Amino acid sequence: MLKDNIQKALAPLNLEQVAAGEYDKTGYHLEVTAAPEQMPEVAKAMLSLGCFLESLTGLHYPEHFTLVYHFNNFRELCRTAVHVQVPLDQEAPTISHIYPGANWYEREAYDLYGIRFAGHPDLRRILLPFDADFHPLLKKFEEKPADA
Amino acid sequence: MLERGLEEKTYVLNLGPQHPSTHGVLRVELEMEGEFITKADPDIGYGHRGHEHMAENRTYPQFLPNMGRVDYLHALAYNQGYCMAVEKLIGLTVPERGEYIRVITAELNRITSHLLWVGAYLLDLGAFTPILYSFDDRENALDLLDYLTGSRLTYCFYRFGGVPVDIDDDFTEGCRKFIQRLRHRFADYDDLVTKNVIFIHRTRDVGFITQEQCIKYGLTGPMLRGSGIPFDIRKSEPYSVYPQFDFEIPIGEQGDVLDRYLVRVREMEQSLRIIEQALDQIPQGPIMAEKVPKRIKPAAGEVYTAVESARGEFGCFVVSAGDPKPYRIKLRVPSFGNLSILPEIAVDTLVADLVAILGSIDVVVPEIDR
Repeated sequence: MLKDNIQKALAPLNLEQVAAGEYDKTGYHLEVTAAPEQMPEVAKAMLSLGCFLESLTGLHYPEHFTLVYHFNNFRELCRTAVHVQVPLDQEAPTISHIYPGANWYEREAYDLYGIRFAGHPDLRRILLPFDADFHPLLKKFEEKPADA
Repeated sequence: MLERGLEEKTYVLNLGPQHPSTHGVLRVELEMEGEFITKADPDIGYGHRGHEHMAENRTYPQFLPNMGRVDYLHALAYNQGYCMAVEKLIGLTVPERGEYIRVITAELNRITSHLLWVGAYLLDLGAFTPILYSFDDRENALDLLDYLTGSRLTYCFYRFGGVPVDIDDDFTEGCRKFIQRLRHRFADYDDLVTKNVIFIHRTRDVGFITQEQCIKYGLTGPMLRGSGIPFDIRKSEPYSVYPQFDFEIPIGEQGDVLDRYLVRVREMEQSLRIIEQALDQIPQGPIMAEKVPKRIKPAAGEVYTAVESARGEFGCFVVSAGDPKPYRIKLRVPSFGNLSILPEIAVDTLVADLVAILGSIDVVVPEIDR
């Protein structure tokens, strides 16, 4: 079982959480929480098991960003969601040298949120114009939504 | 050019943003030596409308029409992906007849998308006639969808909990006629295109993608299956009523442009099979779930659903904070990952082949830009 193999491969990394997910509720087979600096190791482990990076995106919370990496596999279905909390003023390490496909996803996260990825070869904006001076998906927490 | 430290014999060419072969506003900056490409850098975002930002400012039902405008060629797959995500969040089950109607319409829509691709792609390669045939066929399918959904391109047809309109005998009859007609036409397509020597020479042994590259770049859809990996969400992570149908996943052998073409053509035949079976098996019953909440306010949590669109895996990642509006919606679009491999496979090819490669990716640029 791929799920067990992933759990086995991630065990030596001492991650905060590696647990079976509730597939019926969330669509995840495995839920993983990791620290930013552990991410390259996690990516290497996932690649060695033949998983691909399905999606990478950020979430903006008042105290931190959360990067969500989704991995999946072409041979056997096993969606692994990796949540990584990144403090608002810190960089996250890139995984684009492991998964070249992450290059664009990281550029997108930088573009939309301003999250910087240390070691990224080409961290430019990707969707917005290069001279844009804002990151559109940052939330404004001081305002209360009108209908709340 | 010299400012960039390039040699004098290198020159820079802009492919696009208004180039017919880029199918939308995509610009690719090419550095070339003679006719050979040394570097390709796609520049995307010309059509960035901020769908993901809109999502955070709208209630769940208000965001539904947006889903027809992300990938306008296979809009119903996007409808379905988003509806499935919300249904999962609030725990709604779609009645079986509703699921059947979703499958029939989504597969019809997949055929229209592939037909457009076949025509437009051959036009890129310099063959003018096929687009007239494929648009003729596509028109038939669009009429059927128009009859049922009321629109021809940017569909907003599925609802949370089912579909709003039931199919009738006219629609069923029309579908059967269309299936029959298209099967006949596939023979013409084969004679006209697939066996055409010029076409084969343009596409065989061009733009190879290895299985390893597929994993590293996260390719999905015909791009992936052309390289011989049988990964199709309809089979590998079955949703809706797809497990009840008998169909195959066509795959290519060596992962070149011709393989990707063949995969798409064969996929249309499989879609016809699915529609035919669905029309035969469709049960009677309700098309909408009985208790759809008037105000949709899911509990806090997150959900990821995936569907197979004409271009690959469309993933809808919804994070709810317990509000009537989503906290975050990330649309995992297949073309984004599929295009990101272009800088790697374009190197050392001729600029004329780049048009063949770019077309074979089947990018829908508004989907990448979102």
